[in-house]
Amino acid sequence: MMFNEKYKLHPISAIINFIKVLKDMILPFIVVVTVNGFGGSRDSDGWPSFITYSIYAVVLIFLLVSGIVKWKRFRYWFEDGELRIEYGLFVKKMRYIPFERIQSLNYTEGIFHRPFGLVKVKVETAGGGPTEEADAVLTAITKDAAEQIKREMIQTKSKQPGELNEAIQHEVVLTEEARPIFTMSIKDLIVLASTSGGVGVFFSGLAVFAAQFSNIIPYEMIYDEIVVFIRFGALIIVLGVFFVLLVAWVVSVFLTLINYYNFTISIEDNEIVITRGLLEKKKITLPLSRIQGVRVVENPFRQLIGYASIIVDSAGGSLEEKDEKIRLLPLVKKTKIHSVLEQIFLDLDLEPNFITVPKRSRKFFYRLDFLWIIPVSTTIIYFFYPFGLLSLILLPLSYIFGMWQQRTAGYAVNGPHLVMRYRNLSKVTIWMEKKRIQSMTERMTFFQKRKNVSSIITTIKSGVSGSTAIVPHLDKADAERLINWYQPTKSNTIQKEKEQPIV
Amino acid sequence: MRMEPINRISEKGLLVWRIYGVFQTLIAVVIGIGASVINYFIGNFIWLYIVVGVVILLMAYFLIYLFPKVRWMRWRYEVREQEIELQHGLFVVKRTLVPMVRVQHVDTEQGPILRKYDLASITISTAATNHIIPALLTAEADELRGRISVLARVAEDDV
Repeated sequence: MMFNEKYKLHPISAIINFIKVLKDMILPFIVVVTVNGFGGSRDSDGWPSFITYSIYAVVLIFLLVSGIVKWKRFRYWFEDGELRIEYGLFVKKMRYIPFERIQSLNYTEGIFHRPFGLVKVKVETAGGGPTEEADAVLTAITKDAAEQIKREMIQTKSKQPGELNEAIQHEVVLTEEARPIFTMSIKDLIVLASTSGGVGVFFSGLAVFAAQFSNIIPYEMIYDEIVVFIRFGALIIVLGVFFVLLVAWVVSVFLTLINYYNFTISIEDNEIVITRGLLEKKKITLPLSRIQGVRVVENPFRQLIGYASIIVDSAGGSLEEKDEKIRLLPLVKKTKIHSVLEQIFLDLDLEPNFITVPKRSRKFFYRLDFLWIIPVSTTIIYFFYPFGLLSLILLPLSYIFGMWQQRTAGYAVNGPHLVMRYRNLSKVTIWMEKKRIQSMTERMTFFQKRKNVSSIITTIKSGVSGSTAIVPHLDKADAERLINWYQPTKSNTIQKEKEQPIV
Repeated sequence: MRMEPINRISEKGLLVWRIYGVFQTLIAVVIGIGASVINYFIGNFIWLYIVVGVVILLMAYFLIYLFPKVRWMRWRYEVREQEIELQHGLFVVKRTLVPMVRVQHVDTEQGPILRKYDLASITISTAATNHIIPALLTAEADELRGRISVLARVAEDDV
């Protein structure tokens, strides 16, 4: 390598550091201020409040200075195919990140970045052990500098003789341009916000309605004198809850709009690029090779109106975002799923023939719930005799719900892919590649054994840990077919097939 | 039907589990004695002594005799060239398949009781899961650890 120039971050990062620390401690700060800060001025002499104010001032100045020092001491440069970083005031820290270990570069443009054409770059590595902190954050650099990092990375990677494949991929990178695949409209965003936070509003609205019938509640049993108060109070509480939830809903719609504004997915040289955000523009790149599984999740409300969300499990990532479940599509019309997934994951079978669970395993889906429902409703009936009987509704409800789960559960095997479908509350359909499955477990209880059924659990890597998918109560023969499919020694034919680069 | 995995864990493992059971029962005995003493001073109900006695006897039967035996009978494993298969479980029988290419590392571990009986447990880790074989003869465990790590080294894929 030639002369290695050391680069600094843009000065604005001092401000950003300062604000970031401030943001982290704003809550304790507010608490301290409200508890004794402004109350202090009521004291007879002005001294105590003066002292407290000056303490705040000192703290603020200290934070500002430390932000500036952080920026001053931060250096990064490229050397020996590594991104090297040096920082710290008293303890000088160095971090060397080999370019080939870098999984992705994430760009974020905050409100402070925009006016100066800057960008925050987060360097993500696979990050092996739990103690290993291998990520680096460049708080604010110019877009040109960010491009330079990417260039250096691609250059280094293409020089690696062993990673010829990678090199070829990156040749393509430079020529192939971003191809946008999916964008979310404002209407989609509103539906997204409403269907995730709107459930509470719906139920509390229902409660307001129900409170109108409060005269059938046996208040006499409680206390004659405070009946009026309780009736009134109950209505007030219910109304209050309703308004709080309404406000929460409006806020959540608002936040969703800001966060997901202009949500776009595009494919760039074997990477999925997600951009979103109004005030803070976020750009996440996700190498296709890191994706372990693709899930289509439909919660009951969204299922009713024909929407679903798509989540991908991605390996690696940093500890702070513990499970790297990335919402690839926060919300998508069910009819559009195919066209979107087809473009990203070329070899997925999107309409698999599911093998469902046998009829005889039906009772397993609701029987376990009866175990807690029966004692619970017995207790309720005992204490609130006539109206407690309403709790018996739980029984048919859980039965119906169990049937619903039973109808959903199934799997399909398609060459190197396994598709599992199940429902907890939301219906989940997950595609996994055989070589991405970390382990497969067949689980059988005593009762299942008698009915000759068993459950299949698969684990894939998601973030730094794992996430599981389970198809419950399958026919034993089907479960064994699955295990046999997964067993390496028994299915050499599939193993020998050309391995696809992506899920 | 699939064949069950061939290997069993060491017979001494059963003994160790019984010892664990004895400890658990001893804890129950201590709690039971405490309860009885309180009972003696407060109410001195005869039926409470009987309940305590029966509970302790049942616990002793289950924890020392029955559960370890069933668990031991169920525990089977097999390390083949391309995969590891485990089967275990007391109430719920689990049979797990871990492909060799997914194995990241293998650990052996030995607590004081296990050491006394020359046993060790093996933990097989993949990128996302851990699988434990609870009690193997130390020599066997070492040999197995070595074998798995050699077999796992042929891994062709990352992650």
